[in-house]
Amino acid sequence: MNKLSLLACAVLIVGCGTPATYKDPTGRELVVSLDKVNIQDFATAGSQMLQSMISSPSFSKGAPVLQLGSITNDTADNFDTALLLSKITVPLVNAGRVTLLDNDATANAARATSGSNANVPRAEYVLKGKILEDRSNAGSTRQSSFVFQLTLVEVKRGVAVWTEEKIVTKQGTKNAVGF
Amino acid sequence: MKTLLPLLALVLLVGCSSILRTGDRIERGLTPPEAVNYATTKSEGGFSTQLNDNRIGNKIELLAARKTKTDGGYTRVQFDLRNGSYLNQTINVSFEWLAADGTVTESQPNWIVTPLEPGALTTVTATALKAQSAECRLRLISR
Repeated sequence: MNKLSLLACAVLIVGCGTPATYKDPTGRELVVSLDKVNIQDFATAGSQMLQSMISSPSFSKGAPVLQLGSITNDTADNFDTALLLSKITVPLVNAGRVTLLDNDATANAARATSGSNANVPRAEYVLKGKILEDRSNAGSTRQSSFVFQLTLVEVKRGVAVWTEEKIVTKQGTKNAVGF
Repeated sequence: MKTLLPLLALVLLVGCSSILRTGDRIERGLTPPEAVNYATTKSEGGFSTQLNDNRIGNKIELLAARKTKTDGGYTRVQFDLRNGSYLNQTINVSFEWLAADGTVTESQPNWIVTPLEPGALTTVTATALKAQSAECRLRLISR
């Protein structure tokens, strides 16, 4: 009887887990991790940097030709930096606010074999950046700060015409769900 | 008895912040999580609000909305918000842009977390990416 009770308890405990469900990636019920950059952190930093970038004089008129430079991931977490860049380039390209140069090898080869004489536009600006992290703790409370830095370089003059830094800081004792 | 009194006072003081925090948690638990509040700019100036979470209405005040144009002709808005309560509040804001006919032209894919200390003022700014975006709808939640 005792064994049966234990088994029943074990079944009940195992049954209390939460089954996986789909969540809105733009919603508020996402996992917040202390030790890594979450998908919503890229969205937050990206959208704030986008707002800052379009307010710069370089983007006030027309659709300047933009080339993507390197984004250095200087954190302990392994992720693709396109997660940040796409938050900036996707809205800009779709709104017709920039002409984005595509250096895809397949597209270049296809253009070469098509015999196209069209001139490929030259980059006016290059977007480059860095992602850094800082961690600290007090007792059981952990804090992680992820620093997103972007710089827009005007190719002709070789000078930075816009630069921005956004910091996402998370604090707690364990990972959680939601804000 | 003399040593007990300060101890009792200390327990009461510690208990005060706990009670406030517990009250806030209960209040948050009772508020439907879908309760998003809106403030939308009007073409004739000013703004209209749609308050679905009355709890936030008592704590966060929407003081003003300004609408201007950038040099390139894109609409830019600023909303002034104030924490009118006696507790720290964290509000989350997001923007949607509407054309003159009311259709949605742009949506922000994330919430911007904005912690506000008691009495603190903040200004949230957004600039439209598309020329047809004429009005801005601020979405506001308290957690």
